[in-house]
Amino acid sequence: MAAPNETKAASVVVEDVHMDYSVRTSGGGRGLAGKVKSRIGLGERTRVEALRGVSLLAREGEFVGVIGANGSGKSTLLRLIAGVEKPTSGQILARRQPTLLGVNAALQQALSGAANVRLGCLAMGMTPEQTEAVYEDVVRLSALGDAIKRPMGGYSSGMAARLRFAIAVAARPKILLIDEALSTGDATFAQRSEEAMNEMLADAGTVFLVNHAAKVIQELCTRAIWMHEGTVIMDGEAEHVAEKYRWWAWNVAKGETAVAEKLLAQAMDEGEMQNVYVLPEAPMRMTSPRHATRVRRGGGYRTTSLRPTQAPAVAPGSQDESRFPETDLLPVVNDVVIAKQSKPVGARHVSRR
Amino acid sequence: MSVERTFGPGELRTAVSVPSWTLGQVGRRLPLDTYIEQLWRRRHFILAESRSKIAGTAGRNLLGYGWLVLNPLLNGLGFYVIFGLILGTSRGIDNFVGFLMIGVFFFQLTMRCVTGGTQAVRSGRSMIRAFAFPRAALPITVVVREVLNFMPTFAVLAVVLAVLPPAENLTWRVVLVVPCFVLQVLFAQGCAFLLARLGHILPDISNLVNVLARFWLYASGVFFSIDRFDLVPFVQTIMKINPMYSYLEIYRNSILYGVDSPPWMWMLAAGWAFVFVIFGFLFFYRGEETYGRAE
Repeated sequence: MAAPNETKAASVVVEDVHMDYSVRTSGGGRGLAGKVKSRIGLGERTRVEALRGVSLLAREGEFVGVIGANGSGKSTLLRLIAGVEKPTSGQILARRQPTLLGVNAALQQALSGAANVRLGCLAMGMTPEQTEAVYEDVVRLSALGDAIKRPMGGYSSGMAARLRFAIAVAARPKILLIDEALSTGDATFAQRSEEAMNEMLADAGTVFLVNHAAKVIQELCTRAIWMHEGTVIMDGEAEHVAEKYRWWAWNVAKGETAVAEKLLAQAMDEGEMQNVYVLPEAPMRMTSPRHATRVRRGGGYRTTSLRPTQAPAVAPGSQDESRFPETDLLPVVNDVVIAKQSKPVGARHVSRR
Repeated sequence: MSVERTFGPGELRTAVSVPSWTLGQVGRRLPLDTYIEQLWRRRHFILAESRSKIAGTAGRNLLGYGWLVLNPLLNGLGFYVIFGLILGTSRGIDNFVGFLMIGVFFFQLTMRCVTGGTQAVRSGRSMIRAFAFPRAALPITVVVREVLNFMPTFAVLAVVLAVLPPAENLTWRVVLVVPCFVLQVLFAQGCAFLLARLGHILPDISNLVNVLARFWLYASGVFFSIDRFDLVPFVQTIMKINPMYSYLEIYRNSILYGVDSPPWMWMLAAGWAFVFVIFGFLFFYRGEETYGRAE
């Protein structure tokens, strides 16, 4: 489906990612010995599976909404994509270092907003000159006015979220991950942030937005992913997926568990979950130049890369490049080819529409 | 790095492959050379962060930056009253005030780096979660902050030594304070790296560190000459191998007594510094992927 989109370059690849947390079971009351045991991995622990095999492939220019009930693994997925934590298994590739806007937006409570802007920019690897150059833009986008001089500890959650967003956008991220952070902003800011994000998307960026509200996803996103208990239930056009989710959520809220179960099963059946495989590249890569069309043979299948001539992200020497140098922290992997396979049920989904 | 899979025939018929040579693995530790290069790029961040921490602390107090001078002064006075006047450990030590001041001030620098380093990852959590930067910047920030904090102490030291009666034997050797200080800071940085990761793995360590630092303080000959332990050569040897002893003795020899420090002291001072800073850095670097972990 979405044929024109398929030609865009991949920006985030999530391959069969699992994430387990070990949580010490409370109420054991076994004192120091128990604590020591659990710390070194012998004690009683419960494994919480936050993600159980999530695969997805996001492309440049996509605005992906992630929707789902509390505890469905949305925030975990975003943290993993940002590289803040490491998945238990599976791997995540990205085109650029993703920037995460978390729920907890406060940076350094004791410092003023202005000091936080400067520190944030420097932490992202800008030089002091670049920081000064973007400073005014950040303050304008955050729309904080004189409050920028006040300590960040006194900010409301909306103000802090605005400032975080403005700082993140200053570095011109290619991949932005927003975890509910914008839901606390007011109308003026919503307008400005939407403009900033559209600019990013037009410039081959990718945005992930986690939100509970189906309405927000419908308004902003082009594509939506419905997550439930650590798996992707449905992945497709934002309007459609969000609508399904809304219906399900409404039934859950009303206590219509039977109907909700049915809807969930239906969505799972209809939903198109991507299977993504990162394949070791064929040995023939040495014989052809990097940018040549790749043809893989063997095992009875043959795949061709659809967009063989894609220059690396930003053309060197462009204005962007000189003003915002590469601040990436990604060790680039060169020896993989990614294969994305849609489940066969996906075809049914398309034909139905 | 890439996961091998076997596909059944036809399983990939509908597959689309995407060119991926500009894709990188997220959240993985960088190769060491790139890591150091990225760290170097964060030097402005490190400086700004340390300065803002100092300003933040100063801003909370009525006297502000005054405490940077008052704190070491009062500390030195306290130790002087206890050890110099009450316990009388000054016997056999020339210029006890200078001896004590140098010991207390410089030892405190190391101690503050160590305790600050233990907390570095935890107190930097919000930055870790918000921005991508080599995490080694955090323990470095702690040490840079303490070194900046120490500058007023240097001035206090100079004034105290100049004003108080037992005049010291000033020679060219005073300049030896600079290389010794560099070595001491490197050593402290190594400790900070080491404890930053240990403190992240096991937060309880911060309590232990305080206790051990206390032992260390007494074993380094801060308040008394370790010649008192002449009769127990074993204990004395351990005290002499202890890195802080060498640093403190070199400072005292260079500033107060105007004599050359024995070569073994310099070798110990340099050896400890380089071993700790290199080993500590690599140890911290190996844990790079874990510092964002929620818990």
